Amino acid sequence: MGMPEFNTAFVVWRESIEALLVIGILSAWIGHRPEAERKAGRAWLWAGVAVGIVGAVALAAALVTVGEELSDDAQVWFQTAIVLIAAALIVQMVFWMRRHGRTLKRELHARLDDAADRSNWIAVFTLAAIAVMREGSEAAVFLYGSMVSAGTSVVRGVVAAALGLALAIATYGLLQAGARIVSWRAFFRVTEIMLLLLAGSLLLTGVDNLVSLGLVPQLSGRMWDTSRILTDSGALGGLVSALTGYRAKPVLVQLLALGGYWLLMIWLLRRPTWRTA
Amino acid sequence: MRATLAATLAALFAAAAAAAPAGAEDEGPTFQIVFKGGAIEPKRLEVPARTRFRLEISNEDDTAAEFESVELHKEKVLAPRSKTVMVIRTLDPGEYDFFDDFHPGAAAAVLVAK
Repeated sequence: MGMPEFNTAFVVWRESIEALLVIGILSAWIGHRPEAERKAGRAWLWAGVAVGIVGAVALAAALVTVGEELSDDAQVWFQTAIVLIAAALIVQMVFWMRRHGRTLKRELHARLDDAADRSNWIAVFTLAAIAVMREGSEAAVFLYGSMVSAGTSVVRGVVAAALGLALAIATYGLLQAGARIVSWRAFFRVTEIMLLLLAGSLLLTGVDNLVSLGLVPQLSGRMWDTSRILTDSGALGGLVSALTGYRAKPVLVQLLALGGYWLLMIWLLRRPTWRTA
Repeated sequence: MRATLAATLAALFAAAAAAAPAGAEDEGPTFQIVFKGGAIEPKRLEVPARTRFRLEISNEDDTAAEFESVELHKEKVLAPRSKTVMVIRTLDPGEYDFFDDFHPGAAAAVLVAK
C-alpha cells in the first residue's frame, strides 16, 4: 500500500480544504483593507475559526458518543441548513468584496461603524465558523479514529496528523503568498471564481440532501454518465466534486439548480452597479 | 438586504425542520453493510427499486469510516466501532456506487436496485 500515512494526511487535508479556502481568501482580502479595518476583520475571522473548532469537536464528540441514537433525518436536516446558509453567505461575501474591492485603500476610514459593514463582519464570523465546523467535525472523528487505532502504531497516528496539518498550513500559506506575488486584481478574480464554485457545490449538496429527504423530486433519471472521464467520488473526483459541484451522473434537478445558480451569478457579475444593503 | 438573506434562510429551515415528520414508522426492509479492515462488505448488494428501505451500516474497525455516495445523495461519518441506520426513500433501477471516503485507496461497492 506504500504510504498509508500520506493517505491519511490526504483525507485530513481534503476535509479541511474547503475551510482553508474560505479562511485563506477572507484573510488575504482583509489584509488588503485599510489598516483601521484590518484589526476588526481579523478578530471576527479568527473568532469564527475558534468557534468553528469548538463546534467541530463538540459535533465529533456527539457523533462518537451518541452517533447511533441521532436520527438520520435530523442529521441531514442540520447539514442541509448549514450548507445552504454557507452558500448564501459565500455569495454575499463575494459581492461585498467586489463592491469594496473596487474602492481604493485610502478610502473609508470613517466607515467602520457603518451598520452594513458590521453585519458583514458578522457574516465573516459565521462563514468561518460554519466552514470549520462542517468538515472539521468529520476530520475530528477521523483523527479520533486514527488515535484510537494508534494502539498498533502510535507513530502512525501522530505522523498522519502532522502531515495533514502541514499540508493544510502549506495550502493556507500558498493562498497568502498568492495574494502577495500575483497582482491583487488577478488574485481577486481567481479567488472570486473559486468561492462562487464552492458556493455552487454547497448549494448542490443542499439540493441533494433535500432529494434524499424526499422533499425535492429528482425530475429525471441519469441524464448522462461522464464517470469514465472523471468520477465524482474517490481521491481526485471527490475533491473536484466537493469544490465545484461536479456530478458524473447528474439528474435534472441538479442541472436546474446549478444552472440556475450560475445564470444568476453571471447576471449579478455583469450588472455594473451592484448596490444593495 | 443581502445581510438578511442568511437569517431568513436559517429561520426558514428551522421552521421546516420543526415541521418535518419525526421518523416514519414503516421504513421497509433492512440491509446490512459492514466496513471491516478498510473494506466494504458486501461488495455488491441487491435492493428493491422504487421502494423505501433501510441500510444498517456498521463500522467494525478501530478507525473511522465515511459512507459516501454522490449518486445516493448520502454522506455519513461513522465513528470507530459504531453503527448507523440510513433510509433510502426510492431508487430507480440501476447500479449505485458507494465508497468509504476515509479509505480513498479501497475499492468501491455497489448497490444494485432491481
